Order: sequence, then structure tokens, then C-alpha cells
Amino acid sequence: MSTLTLKERFSLSRFSIGEKATDKPVTLNQRRIFILPTDRGLGFAILIALLLLIAFVYNNNLAYLLAFLLASIFFITILHSYRSLSGLVLRSGQSKPVFSGQAAGFNIHIDNSTNKERLQLKISLLQTTETISLSAHNQAQVVLHSATDNRGWQKAGTLTISSTYPLGLFRAWSPLRFNLNVLVYPKPANTELPFPETPASQSEQGTAPAHKGNDDFFGLQSYQPGDAIKHIHWKSYAKGLGVFSKQYDGESSDQIWLNYIQTPGHGIEERLSQLCRWLIDAEQAGISYGFSIPGLKLEPANGQHHYQKCLEALALFETS
Amino acid sequence: MSINKNILLFLLAAIGLIALPHIENLPSSVTGYFYLLLSWRLVGVWKPQWLPTKLMLLLLTVIGIAILYSLHEGIFGRDAGTRLFVTALGLKLLEIKSERDLYLIIFLAFIVATSLFLYQQSIFMAAYILVVCCVLLGTLVCINSSHSKTWHSLKTAGVIIAQALPMTIVIFILFPRVEAPKWMYFNDKHQAKTGLGDNMEPGTISDLAMSDELVFRVQFTGTIPPPAQRYWRGPVLTQTDGKRWTQNRIDLSQPIDQPKLTGNPYQYILLMEPQDKNWVFALALPADVSSPLRRNSHYQLVTSANPDKRTEYRITSYPTYNTGTITKDEYQEATQLPGPASANVTQLVQRLHGFDSPPDKFISQLLNHFKTEDFYYTLTPPLMQENPIEQFLFESHRGFCEHYATAFVYLMRVAHIPARIVTGYQGGELNQVGNFLDIKQAYAHAWAEVWLENRGWVRIDPTAAIAPERIEQNINIDQQVANGIISFTPNSASAAVDWLKNARQLWGNVDYQWQRWVINYDNKNQSKFLSSLGISDLKTMIYWMAGIIGLITAVLSWVLLRNPGQPTDPAVLAYQRFCKKLVVKGLIKRPGEGAKDFSKRAKKSLPEQAASIDLITQLFIKLHYGKQQNNNDLQRFESLVARFNFKH
Repeated sequence: MSTLTLKERFSLSRFSIGEKATDKPVTLNQRRIFILPTDRGLGFAILIALLLLIAFVYNNNLAYLLAFLLASIFFITILHSYRSLSGLVLRSGQSKPVFSGQAAGFNIHIDNSTNKERLQLKISLLQTTETISLSAHNQAQVVLHSATDNRGWQKAGTLTISSTYPLGLFRAWSPLRFNLNVLVYPKPANTELPFPETPASQSEQGTAPAHKGNDDFFGLQSYQPGDAIKHIHWKSYAKGLGVFSKQYDGESSDQIWLNYIQTPGHGIEERLSQLCRWLIDAEQAGISYGFSIPGLKLEPANGQHHYQKCLEALALFETS
Repeated sequence: MSINKNILLFLLAAIGLIALPHIENLPSSVTGYFYLLLSWRLVGVWKPQWLPTKLMLLLLTVIGIAILYSLHEGIFGRDAGTRLFVTALGLKLLEIKSERDLYLIIFLAFIVATSLFLYQQSIFMAAYILVVCCVLLGTLVCINSSHSKTWHSLKTAGVIIAQALPMTIVIFILFPRVEAPKWMYFNDKHQAKTGLGDNMEPGTISDLAMSDELVFRVQFTGTIPPPAQRYWRGPVLTQTDGKRWTQNRIDLSQPIDQPKLTGNPYQYILLMEPQDKNWVFALALPADVSSPLRRNSHYQLVTSANPDKRTEYRITSYPTYNTGTITKDEYQEATQLPGPASANVTQLVQRLHGFDSPPDKFISQLLNHFKTEDFYYTLTPPLMQENPIEQFLFESHRGFCEHYATAFVYLMRVAHIPARIVTGYQGGELNQVGNFLDIKQAYAHAWAEVWLENRGWVRIDPTAAIAPERIEQNINIDQQVANGIISFTPNSASAAVDWLKNARQLWGNVDYQWQRWVINYDNKNQSKFLSSLGISDLKTMIYWMAGIIGLITAVLSWVLLRNPGQPTDPAVLAYQRFCKKLVVKGLIKRPGEGAKDFSKRAKKSLPEQAASIDLITQLFIKLHYGKQQNNNDLQRFESLVARFNFKH
């Protein structure tokens, strides 16, 4: 285990924020666990003081004895509080990317390798708290959800594992920071815009779309009266996106180009949002799509790998 | 409601138990009110809709306050305070909204538990409270381990209490005891206790003979006086109206001549049970005593300590003494008569040579008269209303010690011999286990004291003349109380030894030690005990306390926090098997050494195995530190470790 420098050791942030973020499993020990009385614990201390006062006024030894017993219990509970966390090993797991606005789930793996039962462990991240109990020699996985609002890498920040077991008089806690990041894709637009009608590759070559033929699928267009019924894109209809007809291109291509420059929208985010929507639709429709944003151009393709690469590019576009 | 039903039931059970012994101490209106609220809450566990609304709760609070107000006790003092807390606890039970309320209830319950000790301090009560505390703490454990079973929580609470006990005892012994300042004493009204009073009428003592209540206990440091010497001196009665005897009205605190004390002194520790009066019953005749004890001019010990508290006194008494001269005042009060003696009485005194022979002679004549004439010693003499002394002397001839003593003193005074009545206790039951005497109310006694030239005040017990067994044997209190007739237990050992008696004496001894060392462990006893251990001042006391608590904490920490446990990650387990195999080659992974560094070291000394060591290490790092778990990798890793062997 790495050691702390003197400065790090006395840094107050260890109490709340935790130590430097790490990838490695963290074993909870005296360096990581902090204990302070809860407000109930303070109430208990006041109770002990009151009992001592009664014992003093009435010079009653059994009242003294009870006060001393409660004081000893109070004191010993500190050890039990420490014991409720010590020896647990926490490890960060991988988190799935989400679209902005969805809750990001951070995976935490907790390993209780000791022969002690751990009751009511609270693991919290920002506002969300999960409570689990771990029997001896057992492990568990906890998913902590956190709201997302901006695309890009979102850090989990400090998660806190705490316990008030056994009596609730003390709270033992350990703030932990893992290199836990989740990739947040832009929020897909809600618009029902059809795919760009002009494949980016062709417009670059200067050829206008020739004619709408029956050979190769090339994109979707809002249904126009007169379009053949068999050309209606039922998938998007089923999704409630409206009625689109499939456009086929005689020369090429069962492919479309999603081009940042040609995407309508005010500002970067709106465009990315629209692109994101198209990406989802295209992937679902099974269309080959090319992808182009400043700094990255991906040849038309299809499938999860390509899809994720594109989304990733959207998520990280112009973020530092 | 978010509160778990189990937790509620658990809590209500604990609360019901905590208030149970108070039924005896508190007015039935308070306990009735409390248990009504408790049952209401209990029903509410299953039928939450039946719980009182806010308005009803307000009404209940008003009723509670009305009950307290009607008892006219205010809110301070033992009784009033206890009632207040019990009422508050009951009301709080009906308002459980959050976990915080549960805590408040439990804290209140601890206060009520403490208040029980203000009424009773027996071992049973202590054990009972300990059990209830265990249940209360169990409730706390339950709250903080939501899914845990009730029984499991109770066990955890028990373990925590057991772990806390050694520390509790150390603090108990070493925590400095300071007596509370006087202004902090609350004036609590108490029920009158039975016991000797400052006056006596026929029947006063015989009433006490039916009580087996403990008055005090005495432990002798040397020999125990024989039964005939066990006269425990109480109030001395001098004034009489012919029927009722009272203490005189002269100032008992005025100085008197120091009595000459001779013979082998008895040294003893006297543990007075709580009393109404500030009298301490010392063996005749107590030598000089120090505060809080004072010896008044009747050679009776009085204490300035609170008699309502069990207190321990160290006293030295001398069995032979000479009190010297008599003052004029003393003479006057010791010869006071309610009026001129009747002809019958004068005739009797004359017949016994009361007027014409020395006092010694008259005394022995009179005692002989009791012995030879048809006199009986009985607990239930006929009612003597008008002139009890003459009725006893000439008609009934039946009486208890008070009749003999009063008649004796009266006749002495008629013969102009200064005489007075001494009340107190006579005898004591020896506890053979703890070697101490139990003096109970049944041992109450009245005897006479006459003043003789050159000898001072001399004790004469007329009862000894008529019923010597009263003085020389033990009263069999059980039989006496049960049958209402005087019963004695012979002193001979054979009769005394039966297992029931042994068991009772054993218990009596436990109780005595409990009283002495736990209940009565005050600042005096503490300093005495601690100085015998070499701890004499406050500073050393605190050092010792801190030191021992530190030691206990260290031991507890070791017990609780050792055992880091075995890893459960199969990858780690397999890696450990791998490391074990390398131990044979003298390669031991240092604690804190990383897997990579270790593999470097291993490869250096086992170059022909380098490839597989590398592979195993890489896989381990991937499995243990990597973010993606892969079952195939794990299987491969485990088989690699299994196949890892040294070629010989």
C-alpha cells in the first residue's frame, strides 16, 4: 500500500473528499476510516451526564454504576463502529455509457473477506444511497446512480461508505475516490427530422441526387402522397416517429452520411443532439452510415462497434 | 410508517419491563395511565389507524399533567421526578414518527431505569435493570441493522454489555465520589418506617416483635460478644405519665462526665439500614466517636448523616464501664413519678425492703419476685388500659419486655432509686458464612438502667429474670411471626445446621457484601479501600483510571480487531497457492511487495520458469485489478497455477 506524505496525512480533505483517486482495490483500514459521534451519540452523552447528576445528588451507587456502564458502552462502541467497516475491500467496476439526462450507474464491488457479518452498510454518491448487508465471506456489487446533464466524461467523484452499526451512536465512514468515469453521450434530439437527404460523400463530389430509384436504399424522407406503400419505413412508424418512405438510390448506396456540418441546429449541442438521434435511428434501422465531424471521419459501416465509436466521438467532441 | 414492527414490539416490551417495578413505588393513577398508553401503543402496532390523533394526544397530555398536578408534588425530588418521566415516556410512546423518536424513548427509558434505583438497590433490582438495559440496547442494534433478527440483536447487545463490564467496574472503583452539597438534597416525603420511636406504650415493642425487617448489620473485627452482652442502645426514656414513656425534655447535648471504660473493647463496623430517625444502635458503651456520630448525654449515638441512606459506622464499645456521678437534672428526671404511688405499690416495695435496704438488695428482691411469683413472659398480654403498671403487677402478671421494664423502673423510682428505661435491640442472628450479626426489628427490646453509688448507671434487664432464654438464645423470627408467640432458637450448633438455614445465611452474606461494597461504596469507603492499594490522592486515582481503561481498550481492540480474514476473490486465492509453491524455492512475497516486483525477483532466481511466472503474474494483475472480469481468464489462471511445478 502506498504511504501518505505528512502533508497528505494531515490534509482535512481526507475526511470528506478522500484520498487521491485510484484504480486499485481499496482496503478499509485505520487510514481510511473516520469515526465521529452522531447526533444520537451526543444525545446519549447528555443522557450519561444526566444519570451522573442523579447519582451525584442522591449519592446512589447503582445509578453511578448504570451511568458508568452506559459510558463504557459508549466508548466501546467506537471499536465496534471501526469494526463495521475495517477489512472491507472496495473495487470499482466498469460503468456503461449513458445518454445525457439518463442516470449514470457506477459499479462498486464490495468484498467482505472476513468472518464478520456486515450489517447495514450505506454506500452513497451525491444524493443516492444504497444500503446493503454482507454476510461473512461474501461479496456484493452495488450500482450507484447519478444524474447526468453534460456530455463527455463524467467523474463519479467521492463515494462514501458508512455504517452506524451497532448502536447508532457513532458513524464510521470512509470517503473513497476511484477513477470511476462514465461516458455521457449527447441527449438525442426529440425532433422527427428525416435522415439527411443528400449523402455527404456525394454532395462532396458535386453530384446532385439523381433520381429516386428502386435499387438501393439511400435514406428516409417524409412520406409524400404518392410514395409506394411498400416503401414506407414501418420501423420508424411503429416507433411513433411519423411516416417516412424509404428512398432508394439506383447508383449507390445502401448508406447515408451523417455530417456535422450539414446537420441543422443552433450551436454545437443542438447539432450533436440531432446527430445522436440519427445515429440511434440509423443503427436501429440497420442502415450503413458514414460519420463525419470536424477532426474525425468514419467510413459508412454498421454494428455496435461502429455505433459506439460514433457516439463516443459525439460525446467527446470539443471537450477537453 | 417506516418503523419496523419487530423493532416496535421489541421496544414496547423493554418499556413495559422498565416501568414494572414502579407499580410498587408510584401512585396507581400514574402507573395506570402509563400502562394504558403502553397498551394503546401496542394495539397500534397492528392497527395503526387506532392510534390517537393530534387532538387526542393533546387531550392525553392534559390528562397526564392533571394527574401529576393532583398529586401536589411539583416536579423536583425523587417521587415527583419519577412520575414526570414515567408520564413523559408513556406520552412519547404514542408519538413515534421517526427513528429519532425511538432514540428519545430509549433515553427516557434509561432515566426511568435509574429512578428505580432510587427506590430499591437490591441485587435483584440491579440484575433486573441489567437485563432490561440489554433489551433496550438490543432495540438500538435492531434499528441499526434493519434485517437482523431480534434474537441476534439481543445477543449483540449482550456481548457489548459484557465487553463494557470490566471498564464499568474500574470506573466504579476509581471514579472520585464527592458528597453532594446539602442544598441539592430534595425534601422527599417518605412513608413512615416501623421501628423504635421516641416514646413507648404497652404494645410498642411487641408490635415490632412481629417484624423481620432488617435494622442493621454488625461485623466485628475481633471477637463477637456473647448473646447476653448484645445490648444495642437506643433512645432512653425517662418521663412517664404512668402509661406512656417519653424522652426527657432536657438538652441531651449538654456535656457530661466521661465514663470510665474498662475491659476488652469490641470493635465493629455497623451498617445501618435506611431509617427515619438519626439513631445509631451501638453496643453498650460506645467510646468516643467522631463525626458524623455524636454521643448524647444518654450515651446514645446519634448521627448527623442522612438516616434515610444506608450508612456504615466504625465504633468501639467497652462492655464494662462506670459512668460516675449523677447530675441534679439527671437525678430529677430519673426519679420523676406521674403522681403519688398507690397503697398497693407502696406495700409491695415495702415488702421487698425497698425503703429500708440498700438498692442492690431491693433490685435482687424485685427480680426474684418476678422469678418466683406467677409471672409470664408473653407477646400477647391482656389489654391494660387504665393503669398498666399496677394491672400488670397485681392482676394479669403477663407481659412483654416493656411491661417488665416499666414496672421495674416505676418501683425503683418509688423506692427513690434513680432509674430509667432504655430501648434498643437485644441479640442478633449470627451469619456464619460472613461472620456478622443481623439485627432485625424483632430483636427490639426494652430494659432498665439504675444509678448506683460508685457504679454509675447500671443495666438491669428484668426480662432476663423472667425469661433468660430471651437474652441467651436467638429469637426464632419465622415461627414468632407466623404463630404470634415467642419462639427461640437454641444456640447449639446442631439444631442450627440445616441446609435451608445455610442457604439463607449464604444469601444473607452475599446481600451484606453487596450492601457494603457496592451500595455503600461512598467517598469514605473509597478512600479507605484505595489507600490500602496505595492510591491516595485524586491525581493518582485519575492516572490509574486512565491507565487501566487504556489497558482494557487495548485488550478489547486486540480481541475485536484482529483476524484480518481470508480473501474470497478466487483469483487472489489461486495467486496465494502460486506464492505458496514458490516458498519451497525460498521465495517469500514480502507484505506490501507488488505482484510485479515479486515476479521480477522470482524470475531472477528461477530463470527456466520465467515464462510461466510472467504469464501467471500478468493474468493475476488483469483479473484482480482489471475492470472487466472474465471467467475464461480465471479458469486459465487457475489451471496455470495448478500446473505450475518445478522440474527436478
